[in-house]
Amino acid sequence: MKRTLRQVFHSPKFVVGFSIIMFVVLTVLIYPLFVRAAPLEIIARGTFFEPGIYINVFDSMGSPKYILNLDDAAAKRIASKLSDQERLDMKDWLVADGILEEDIDITDTKNLLDQWVKNYDPKKEIPGMTNARRNYFTRLNESLKGILSTEGAIIAAKNAQTGALEQTGTVAQTDYVNVSQVANKRLLLLGTDNFGRDVLTELVSATGVSLMIGIVAGLIATTIGLVLGLMAGYMGGWVDDVVMFFTNIFTVIPTFVLLILISFSIGQDKRGAVTIAVVIGFTSWVWTARAVRAQVVSLRNRDHVNLSRLSGHPTARIIFTDILPYIASYVIMALILQISSAILAEAALSVLGLGPRTTETPTLGLMMNWAMIYQAQILGKWWAYFPVLLVIALVSFSLNLMNTGLDQVYNPALRE
Amino acid sequence: MTTVMLEVKELTTKYITRYNEDVYAVDHVSLKVEEGKSLGIAGESGCGKSTLALSLMGYYFAPLHYTSGEIIVEGRNISGMDRDDVRKAILGKEISYIPQSAMNALNPTRKIINFIEDVLQAHDLYVTKKDIYDRARGLFETLGLPASVLQQYPVELSGGMKQRTVIAISVLLLPKVLIADEPSSALDVTSQKMVIKMLRQLMENGFISSLIFITHELPLLYNVTDDIMVMYAGQIVEKASAKEAVFDPLHPYSKGLMGSIIVPESGLRDVKLAAIPGVPPNLKNPPPGCRFAERCKYVRPECKVITVNPHELPGGRNYRCIIPEDELRAIYKKESVQHAR
Amino acid sequence: MKGYYRYFGKKMVWFFITLIVAFLLNFILPRLMPGDPVAVITQRATQGMTSAAAVQQVYKDYQELFGTNKPMLTQFILYLKNLAHGNLGVSFSQYPRPVADIIRASIGWTIGLQFPAIIIGWLIGNMLGALAAYLKGGYDKVLLPASIFASSLPAFGMAVIILVIFGVTLKWFPTSGGYGFDMIPNFSWGFIWSVIVHYQMPFWSIVLIIIGGQAIGMRSMCIYELNADYVKYSRFMGIKDWKIVRYVFRNAMLPQITGLALAIGTIVGGALVAEIIFSYPGLGSTTLAAVVGGDYPLISATTLIITLMVLIATFTIEILYGFIDPRIKAAQSEQ
Repeated sequence: MKRTLRQVFHSPKFVVGFSIIMFVVLTVLIYPLFVRAAPLEIIARGTFFEPGIYINVFDSMGSPKYILNLDDAAAKRIASKLSDQERLDMKDWLVADGILEEDIDITDTKNLLDQWVKNYDPKKEIPGMTNARRNYFTRLNESLKGILSTEGAIIAAKNAQTGALEQTGTVAQTDYVNVSQVANKRLLLLGTDNFGRDVLTELVSATGVSLMIGIVAGLIATTIGLVLGLMAGYMGGWVDDVVMFFTNIFTVIPTFVLLILISFSIGQDKRGAVTIAVVIGFTSWVWTARAVRAQVVSLRNRDHVNLSRLSGHPTARIIFTDILPYIASYVIMALILQISSAILAEAALSVLGLGPRTTETPTLGLMMNWAMIYQAQILGKWWAYFPVLLVIALVSFSLNLMNTGLDQVYNPALRE
Repeated sequence: MTTVMLEVKELTTKYITRYNEDVYAVDHVSLKVEEGKSLGIAGESGCGKSTLALSLMGYYFAPLHYTSGEIIVEGRNISGMDRDDVRKAILGKEISYIPQSAMNALNPTRKIINFIEDVLQAHDLYVTKKDIYDRARGLFETLGLPASVLQQYPVELSGGMKQRTVIAISVLLLPKVLIADEPSSALDVTSQKMVIKMLRQLMENGFISSLIFITHELPLLYNVTDDIMVMYAGQIVEKASAKEAVFDPLHPYSKGLMGSIIVPESGLRDVKLAAIPGVPPNLKNPPPGCRFAERCKYVRPECKVITVNPHELPGGRNYRCIIPEDELRAIYKKESVQHAR
Repeated sequence: MKGYYRYFGKKMVWFFITLIVAFLLNFILPRLMPGDPVAVITQRATQGMTSAAAVQQVYKDYQELFGTNKPMLTQFILYLKNLAHGNLGVSFSQYPRPVADIIRASIGWTIGLQFPAIIIGWLIGNMLGALAAYLKGGYDKVLLPASIFASSLPAFGMAVIILVIFGVTLKWFPTSGGYGFDMIPNFSWGFIWSVIVHYQMPFWSIVLIIIGGQAIGMRSMCIYELNADYVKYSRFMGIKDWKIVRYVFRNAMLPQITGLALAIGTIVGGALVAEIIFSYPGLGSTTLAAVVGGDYPLISATTLIITLMVLIATFTIEILYGFIDPRIKAAQSEQ
């Protein structure tokens, strides 16, 4: 046993796969200890906030101010205010005014602004320019003036009694706050989803639920498969015929069809995460049963089994002591595969809308489903679906890797 | 003057393991087989006899590599020959090989006759399909195999039948040397007898000019081959005629092998069965000196240090031991007397 | 041919038994659903009606129509009879459109998409896997991890990735539908071209996923076969390498065909979900719409049709296998 463990942990594939899945499991377990927020809590008003650090503006106004004189602060400020379209428009105007195109670099904010300030004159007549466009440039110029000024902003509050605005403070362009001193901030590493929920927290929780579903379903499926395979393989005769009859039928009838039918029939209310896990478990045992049966049949006539039979050992004991240890490795591999496929099955079900209820816990499949319904892919809101996909692929990949590693340990012919 | 069909001089071949270590599985082996004669090679599992068989063909593929030595087939030196030439001219034609587990040697999805066509085609001997069929049928019938086998798939044949089919295919091109690698090990006793009978028949009818029979069952060789070589840890430790090797072995290992055989004779009850303790050395780092020294009953201090070369005796016999012939005979005689008491 | 009868006969019997079980399941499971769908329809149809008696009458009429007021066995026989006539009932969510009509509209798209995709994916995947086993070295080192990755992704995952890369970012292909929104199905070149363009992304998503799965399997099979005894013996009898390689591929293909028969259920399932990602007008989207609309005749019908398709595919493959594997022919003629 110890030697097998050592061999197993020497297999590079197994170790890599194992580490990845352990990392995922640990994250799922440890993350909630640090971040106490509820995963399905709607914290944003509006959809698909981008990932980033969100700092409360109101609080930062009241936090201690520090003066920093940074060289490029002004340029950066202007650069962020001036959109690409506006720069192109400015270039258009300047070119129409007679400035050579090569002299204009729209990426060089400072020069562009200098040229603009030097040349722009609202009264100039540009041939072919409509009135509306001319007004546009006037407005553009006004807003630029605002950007270029170095005055700060004034904070005012309504006087409770008179209703008039009274100045309560100022914010200079060189005022900075220390983020750690701002009372309210929220790190949204993966932004928010369409409902306004923190994607990262949701994702961690969803991974946990999906893993749980995978493990429960995998265990159920493997157990059923193991029991049926043992019975059919060892006892033979009519037991074998009956079991194989059902197995053959369910091999051909696609499992996901059964899943769809059963999930649908249960109805929305009854579909909890555990229920779905059970349903998946009860419909995916077929492959394991077949594989176990094949192994047991080949073991049935081995000498040690015959010896036990001749010695009069009860069937149950023979199965436990003579057959199980030999197929143990096989069963473990089957379990890993079942877990992996159960997770994928749940994801597919959820995408169809037949997964666990949407109001209690998120699952990986559900997150994909939401992203899909609200068109996250098309809108380019990658954080709503890409991390989910990555986690699904990673979990599936690591489990498969573990399995391949184990396979190579137990089946030397496959070693490279 | 009988022609020497196969002469091997100091052949050394090695395996290169995945960790880039060299394992010299065949270490300076020399042998000679003459026309019409058969040579048996005996040794325990892992001594290198199968590797020797592969090496003799002259066709190497990873991880087996040729290191040094000569292989001369009827006067023609084939060691170091281009692989493709070896494949076309030698394999199956000059030297042919019967694999150990002939049961699985046939492609399960190809009819026997089609496989035969492939073999002939590979040697540019493709005539018409009818000619091939006639030739094959002729050979099979001569060897006692029904012609119907040709149209069947391997899965339809019994184990013994498959083995004999493989032998027939191997001699199709009338090779000069036939190497049989444990041809009877996987069969029941009746089939074993049939296989050996077939091999003898092949020699008598001239289908093959010489035979090398490899086995771990020493007593089998007495009834099959003219000469016997005993192999241990990649080296030949004794070469003698069959009678001499079985009844008058000189090398302590050969003696030990014969001593572990039960020969029905009077006084059997009093003879103790002697097993050779220990295991063969690891060929990655073969010990200096005699490789059998660890397990030898008569080991002397020098044995583990000096390189032991074959000790030649008149009549073409040799054995790899530093103890002189008469001394060994004396030791053995003393022992047998002791046992008889 | 005579020898095959037994083999085919057995397969046919299985086909029919499985078919009956499929019918049973498709009939029973949705009807176990709690709640009364007829009541829902009645409610929808009688909005605005004030007379309780009239509502009751409407309810009874619908019950009659859908047969929910009869015992299960009668319903089942009715169901089978209807099936024989191609009547799959009336859709709840798209009332009064008959279910058969809805299915007829979408089944063509699904078959047209999946059938070629599965075949091509299988062929390419097996070729790549075989090459990897034969060539080894650098080619193998690239193919293996890529295949492992592709086979770890669920089908819809690949669909999403392709959608985002080629549809949204590169804008090479349209992101949804089977044909342009502004088009009406006809046989003009414009329409056909639009169909082809919309076909690419779903098609290649399915193909890539299948390649991933097949390549790995074929590679393992080939490695196993390349080490088989008959390869060594063939070599020693002087047979050329490339001929031996042909032997190996042929032998490794056989279990792959069987594997395809076993896996086709899962493959089709994954492909259907991929269809949904692309809003492709096939059975996948129909199923989704049915689920969302709580439409159990439609769900029952789509699952039945999907099961039928998979059944037919599986048994066709098994029969083909009987022709291809010479050992089956031999075993039969022996008897």
